[in-house]
Amino acid sequence: MTTLATRRQAAPGGSTPSRPARSGASSVGRPGFAWALPATIFFALFALVPLAAVAVLSFTSWSGLGDPEFVGLENWKTLIADPVMAKSLWLSLLFIVLGVVTQTPLSILLGVWAAGNQRNRAVLSAIYFIPLLLSSAAISVLWRALLDPNFGIPGQLSWLFGDGNLLGSQSGAIGVLIFVGMWQFTPFHTLIYQGAAKGIPNVLYQAASIDGAGMVRQFFSITLPQLRNTAITSIILMVVGGLTTFETVLILTNGGPGTDTTITAFYMYQEAFQSFDFGVGSAIALVLVVVATLISLVVVKVSGYDKMNSSLEGL
Amino acid sequence: MSRSLAGTAVMMLGLTLAGCGGGGGDASSRPENELHLAVYGDASNKVEQAMVDKFNETSDVKVVLDTIPGADYQTKLQTIIDTDSAPDIFFNWGGGSIANFVKADLLMPLDDFIEEDPQLKDAFLPSVFETAVIDDKSYGIPMRGTQPVMLFNNSEVLEQAGIDAPPATWDELLADVEKLKAAGVTPIALGGADQWPTQMWFQYVFDRVAGEDLFQSALDGDTDVWDSEESREALGKLRELIDAGAFGTNFDSVKFTDGGSPTLLSSGRAGFELMGSWAYATHLDADPEFAENVLGYSEFPAIEGGEGDPDNLAGNTNNFYSVHKDTRYPEEAGEFLKLMYSDEFVQEQIAIGNLPTTTNTEEFLGEASNPEYAKYQFDLVKEAPHFQLSWDQAYPPEATVTIHTAVAQFFSGQIDEDGFIKAMQSL
Repeated sequence: MTTLATRRQAAPGGSTPSRPARSGASSVGRPGFAWALPATIFFALFALVPLAAVAVLSFTSWSGLGDPEFVGLENWKTLIADPVMAKSLWLSLLFIVLGVVTQTPLSILLGVWAAGNQRNRAVLSAIYFIPLLLSSAAISVLWRALLDPNFGIPGQLSWLFGDGNLLGSQSGAIGVLIFVGMWQFTPFHTLIYQGAAKGIPNVLYQAASIDGAGMVRQFFSITLPQLRNTAITSIILMVVGGLTTFETVLILTNGGPGTDTTITAFYMYQEAFQSFDFGVGSAIALVLVVVATLISLVVVKVSGYDKMNSSLEGL
Repeated sequence: MSRSLAGTAVMMLGLTLAGCGGGGGDASSRPENELHLAVYGDASNKVEQAMVDKFNETSDVKVVLDTIPGADYQTKLQTIIDTDSAPDIFFNWGGGSIANFVKADLLMPLDDFIEEDPQLKDAFLPSVFETAVIDDKSYGIPMRGTQPVMLFNNSEVLEQAGIDAPPATWDELLADVEKLKAAGVTPIALGGADQWPTQMWFQYVFDRVAGEDLFQSALDGDTDVWDSEESREALGKLRELIDAGAFGTNFDSVKFTDGGSPTLLSSGRAGFELMGSWAYATHLDADPEFAENVLGYSEFPAIEGGEGDPDNLAGNTNNFYSVHKDTRYPEEAGEFLKLMYSDEFVQEQIAIGNLPTTTNTEEFLGEASNPEYAKYQFDLVKEAPHFQLSWDQAYPPEATVTIHTAVAQFFSGQIDEDGFIKAMQSL
């Protein structure tokens, strides 16, 4: 009897799993499906229906004039044979990896630092935050002007930049886009890490100090592990952001030089709204949806995020 | 639940597609007593507004001017042209920019209007009027001004480099490039990041080497001409110029639209720039002193042994007004178009620096802000045996990305002659 009671208490939600509650009283506080209805309807209207429409459009040829014409797998065959499409996917992955690699360490360091209580910390944090308040378009126009090879920064620092053809070479253009992305989004991720770092219980550090751990050791043995879930959240956001990067590419490089920075999201825009080929554009959009879903699943699986273990276990 | 949800989704999808492809309604679904006029939004809108106001004074059907921000114009137009909110009259570039609309049977041939009032055709320069003729029917009446592409120069820089006059031939241009390099400046400014300025070089060199027929054949569907001897010769000439270092090494990072390449010219760091006639207004805006005293201009050089007439021009012949087939008030639309050759229209356009293409424009050139420049340009257009509409506007809009990418890649050396030919043959 005692064991049974204990087991019952341990069961989640307080009710016995083997005997579902039938009385009205015990279902209080457990929302029924009706609660999710508004959200479900909105999701269906504004996400699923357009997605279905895009899926249908991807089997048609449509320039925006007249009726879409059904062409079967034609667009998909075009895409599979299209070297620019393959290149754009590689570029997108490269953008994601470079974005995560450059932004994560910096945001962690800045975030942990900003969670402390140094002098002028609040003022500096506010300054770091400014790039996030500007629109991507404004940021891109700003950097475009700053990077003019003759009259911008490269023209002044020719010992460093040579002829200043940053946006005219593939490595230069990718470098610029990654740098601008870092400049724009690091503040946001810093903010997330700052919040998480503030939430780490002080007792952990006190105990570590007593054991004689220094600053560096404390950072690697306490701070970093405690930030694991935050890091996963932040990285997923970076992945999604990297996949959908668009305005900066449009304004800074227009996909160039040639097709050297034509990432998938930009290629989709180019096909649909510049070449007026909504069929191929829709097919690319579907590829993006699939790729984004796959990447998210992989990140969640690999990181153990689906289990949602608390980082405070054992406290 | 999930089944009914799926049902809803399918129904919504049906509605969405019906909405997308429903096609323009008939005239009765359009607003009463209103004629909508869609134009490219920029500084020229004030003249258009003045014409609209003038028309509305005497007409019961009022014209409503809808200005659409420039960079989005073509996209927006294509999105609405086949719906009930399509404009009755709209701005375009003639040629390929309206070819798809004609094919989709959305435009009204203007020949009946012209028969009633021959001035609608005769009052305009023929080389310009022809740009909006498709399958022997007229679909556009010229509006705004003509914009031929010319070779601009910084006369002070040329003088310092020992160049007395702008180059009249290709060989002189190559010689000037050497002199300018020796003088330590970039010989030719190029906004390669915008891509269309790069394309201007192709338009002229192909026209000079092969004549206007090569491009016209390609446009008509005979893509073999891109692989012809003349085409390869034209590409060879361009390659020669690029390899001579005429454009420097960082042109792919320079734009015209943000002032990059014009500033190279005006600050004396480049000798030439090939640009549309609007370059004068651009410089006048940024540096009036330079525009009035230093800026020089000349025709694109002749190419020895080439088949094209050295007086041929390339650029924007003009902009046009076309009329939607479903307009509720065709008569009033026809009446409105007549304003495009009125003296008042010509004077107002000249006052803001545009060069209208009516035959009587010449009488009013003295009123231009720079009469000498206006006269030079007008004579170029009047005497040009052929005026080649820019490639990216002669082709339908879907070709633009391919053309722009190909010209940019050829200039930066990412593709060679064969790569360029293959790209153009894919159109």
